[in-house]
Amino acid sequence: MLNIIFYFQVHQPYRLNHFNVLDINRNAEMFDDKLNGLVMKKVAEKCYLPTNELLYELIKQSEGRFKIAFSITGTAIEQFKLYSPETLDSFKRLVDTGCVELLGETYFHSLAFLYDTNEFLDQVMMHRDLMQQEFGYYTTTFRNTELIYQDRLSDIIYEIEGFKTIVTEGVDRILQWRTPLYAYKNYSKDINLLLKYYQLADDIAFRFSNRDWPEYPLTVDKFVNWIDHLTLAETGGKNLFLNLFMDYETFGEHQWASSGIFDFMRHFPAAVLAKGHLGFANPKDTSHLANYQQEGLSFTDAVSWADEQRDLSAWLENDMQKNAIETLYELFFRIKEKGDPELLRIARLLSTSDHFYYMCSKYFQDGDVHKYFSPYDSPDQAYIYFITALAELEERLLR
Amino acid sequence: MKILMFTWEFPPLISGGLGMACYGMVKALLSQGIKIDLVLPTRELVYFPLREESDVDILPAVFLDQKMHKEFTQRSFSTIQERLDYIGITAHPESYFRLSEIKQYAVSVRRKYWLSEVVTNEERELWDEMTANLIGEEDLMRKVQEYTLRADRFAKALEYDLIHAHDWLTYPSGMLAKQLSKKPLIVHIHATEFDRAGGPGDERVHKIEHAGMTYADKVIAVSKYTAQMIMSRYRIDTGKIRIIHNAFTVPEDAVSHKERIFKGPTILFLGRITLQKGPDYYLEIADKVLKVHPEARFIIAGTGDMSRQVLRRSASLRLKNRFLFTGFLNRKQVERVLQAADIYVLPSVSEPFGISPLEAMAFGITSIISKQSGVAEVVHHAFKIDYWDIDLWAETINHLIENREKCAKIGIEGMREVHRIQWDEAAEKIRHLYSSTLAEFIRRQDN
Repeated sequence: MLNIIFYFQVHQPYRLNHFNVLDINRNAEMFDDKLNGLVMKKVAEKCYLPTNELLYELIKQSEGRFKIAFSITGTAIEQFKLYSPETLDSFKRLVDTGCVELLGETYFHSLAFLYDTNEFLDQVMMHRDLMQQEFGYYTTTFRNTELIYQDRLSDIIYEIEGFKTIVTEGVDRILQWRTPLYAYKNYSKDINLLLKYYQLADDIAFRFSNRDWPEYPLTVDKFVNWIDHLTLAETGGKNLFLNLFMDYETFGEHQWASSGIFDFMRHFPAAVLAKGHLGFANPKDTSHLANYQQEGLSFTDAVSWADEQRDLSAWLENDMQKNAIETLYELFFRIKEKGDPELLRIARLLSTSDHFYYMCSKYFQDGDVHKYFSPYDSPDQAYIYFITALAELEERLLR
Repeated sequence: MKILMFTWEFPPLISGGLGMACYGMVKALLSQGIKIDLVLPTRELVYFPLREESDVDILPAVFLDQKMHKEFTQRSFSTIQERLDYIGITAHPESYFRLSEIKQYAVSVRRKYWLSEVVTNEERELWDEMTANLIGEEDLMRKVQEYTLRADRFAKALEYDLIHAHDWLTYPSGMLAKQLSKKPLIVHIHATEFDRAGGPGDERVHKIEHAGMTYADKVIAVSKYTAQMIMSRYRIDTGKIRIIHNAFTVPEDAVSHKERIFKGPTILFLGRITLQKGPDYYLEIADKVLKVHPEARFIIAGTGDMSRQVLRRSASLRLKNRFLFTGFLNRKQVERVLQAADIYVLPSVSEPFGISPLEAMAFGITSIISKQSGVAEVVHHAFKIDYWDIDLWAETINHLIENREKCAKIGIEGMREVHRIQWDEAAEKIRHLYSSTLAEFIRRQDN
């Protein structure tokens, strides 16, 4: 049996204002509420609302056999409330079907794991509380920002009560000859590990509307056929898991409606369920379904799902990114010492990984993706606004 | 006396000190009874007949084309800016000309009749040096070509006693006007290619500078430093050179009271972020000071071709949020940043004059300037340090940070001093130079 595990990432950052040195100490607004509202409304209209509606129908039609998972950041939930409350309602309706798992992550979609373990734990607990409060859901599967993972993460997550599974990227340099279709364990075999099958996930997320791709157009038949072939690898009756993890904005935002992405999704579950040996599952189900000794995998270096390198270089490669993030986490420490909740809130909004992504200066293929997502003209400009905002934050701290 | 003046910058068209200097100089000259027809790199073919002091702000304009001038005078503009926009002057240099209109420059500039009256071989050589180097497809070169072609028409259409051209961009025009009118030419050196490039720079520019200075009857250098430069690097006849220091008109809104941005001591670099101004030295100085005084804040205000390099390096030095970039600032923002600073720093590698430190001093900011700048010759209440002596810059800043009262006191003394450096005096020297040049010229003609 091969179980398809869909997990969709739902996230919106608070984008910064074009913050100038001359705005410092003048009680200027640090975040661009107008832009944030515009983006949220646009994405809600193009992606969240229609896709939620579609997935709801598919769950109903499949009588609960179609299952999906979401990881929704705290900053996204907040901005739903501010700019698109109907989107939050439609997510609640989906969760109420019982076929939707919610994953745990950092409330602010931050890189705190890499810089400040205490802050990381705070943000994870804030997110778990938020899921409880908004959806009445207790999270048991963990997803770190951008699927960043290394052995140390499993140690920390294992210490938090309730988390049994972590999802991350199926990086070739870790897997080597292994397939990401099995459920694995972390290095100490304490936690269940699911690895993204990036070839197939990215066929949907990145290549779906690419006319230069030899497989274009991607039809449901073709895709199900590929999946079917994967099952040939396993003959011993073991349960396989095809982990299709992607940004939720794939639907209607990254891949426009005109590309046929919604039609694809509309017909995909039925085509899968028509095959007796294919089905859907949630990440939390996998530890029970794994009917074999799960191998432990060691990740000494951090991996992620970003760019070709699948490492941290999208956020933490150049000096601008490093100077910015190091300065931020130094401020965190001082803000916590002072105990000012308002400043802590700002520091946390600045900890969202997107801010560092905008400063990425790798200008090859992936640079284009970065550019698409950035509200600024250049990485340098993104850095200037961010570092200036940190100067403002420090001035407020000194008040 | 009436002057045909060519310059590339004049407010509101300003990118550096040249525009500010021309403004102060022209205003003072007008008050001393000199009449000036000013030619700027405008989009439309116009010149500015300046007769009274107040004209420098109004910029009355005349179209060379009579029909267009009639159309222009019949239009009503609600603001000066609206009128200037119509002529094609904005605060951004990009708006000069429509490049698509420049045609066949090479053919026209070598038109035979320009050379027909060349008398001596020396003149012919200089002319060839200029035309042979006024080539290239870069935006700036093409703009200079266009400007030079237009000078032909101004030189012939207008009446004047003497030609005054500022910096290399207008030397070809000055040469052309002299060629056509046989009137004396004064070229004014605000900066040479050596200053801008920190080395020989663009050979074409260097050659044009040489041709212009040699072709001119008199050469004004804005400082001893610059006079040295043009003697040693351009081999210009010493007898032709006059040193007339730039001056500074203290802006009416200059105030010594602080509107702080940062609680910590604030150090400011204000100028183009380009090799000449030493922004890379500023960065190294900041690095040293911040190790001793992490509470200090370094602002770098302006833009330029080294912005990215300086930005990346500030990050690699991990200067945290203590080294900040403002980007381009408009006039009001410049005032605000001046009010926020305690110490002004200009580690120019080579600065013929440098008005910016005077502006900072007018705001009561303690200034540290490089010894390699002309302005160092005229101010006393400022620190002067070799641009490369990073340790001394850092020590001086540290000392000022540690002695805030002393720092403020030097700032006030500097402010008083700047108020005494007025354009009237410099303009008087220029006026005398006009007279003596003209007298010499007439004497020569009589012989």
